[in-house]
Amino acid sequence: MNPMSDMSEAGTYEDEGALDPHGAARLLARTQRQAQRELDFRSPWLSLIAAGAALIGFGAVWLSVRHQHPFKGPTTAALVVLYLLVAIRIGTVLYAHHRASAGVSGRSARLERAEGVGLAAALVAVYVLMIALVGDGVGSQRAFYWLYGVTATLIVLGTFWAARSAVKEDWPELGMSMAIMLVAAGSALAGPRGVWLGDGVGLCVLLVASAGAQMWLLRTSRSGT
Amino acid sequence: MTADALDPLIHVPARLQIVATLAALPDGDALSFTRLQDMIGLTPGNLITHLRKLEDADYLTSEKTGNGPASRTSVALTRRGRAALDDYTATLRTMLNGL
Repeated sequence: MNPMSDMSEAGTYEDEGALDPHGAARLLARTQRQAQRELDFRSPWLSLIAAGAALIGFGAVWLSVRHQHPFKGPTTAALVVLYLLVAIRIGTVLYAHHRASAGVSGRSARLERAEGVGLAAALVAVYVLMIALVGDGVGSQRAFYWLYGVTATLIVLGTFWAARSAVKEDWPELGMSMAIMLVAAGSALAGPRGVWLGDGVGLCVLLVASAGAQMWLLRTSRSGT
Repeated sequence: MTADALDPLIHVPARLQIVATLAALPDGDALSFTRLQDMIGLTPGNLITHLRKLEDADYLTSEKTGNGPASRTSVALTRRGRAALDDYTATLRTMLNGL
């Protein structure tokens, strides 16, 4: 039985509206562009929000620790700002993803659920390892805890996204993921205070560049039709 | 080369939009009837008519899940449908280069 056979309002429309080749090419390009935009949760605005969140969140922590000798760790107020901005970032991504994937079912939805489980497991493993290392007396306790926490989290997220981008043959996203890992590793060299400034500025620059590239691609695809 | 060389099943505004929209999904994914309707802006009756023609040609498959008001119909492009759009695009490109 045809699944659509019981739907009402089935009309008897003819193949109205003849198309000339130029008109067909324009309609095809416009439809492909619109579909890709609506089905992809990523957008320049989302990247700009993330850039602002990274700069303000990491910047707030850096301001709270930059003059600490010895290092005591971020203040509660700085952590509230950081976690609030992380929550906003997660919320905006989930909202955009929910909107983009509405009505979409099949293989990619199943894959995304599996990817989510894998990512959660990797992050939990990092934090368990961190607790084990600190508990064993490795490093200078608080300084090591914060330095390792922020760096490892960014490297895990970058590694996850790099693997995902490689499978999808999404080379710009692969480059972005590798750049995030480099920023995370490079900033760690600045120690438990400087790491926050390095990550904040580095991520902000990368995300603004990503937003610019996305805007440029959108404009190019529009002018190319 | 004339417009007759273009696949008549796709060379109609509504069906070209349907096929191009479904082709934007990764292979193996389906789109709900209501989301497709929102994205293309056709009336339900018009959309059903065009979907039937494409389904009869094996360019897409449809699947209904659930019963009653909670039922949902999803449509997906078949390999044949994806290949037909690729052929259509290539023919269109050749045609425009020759103009």
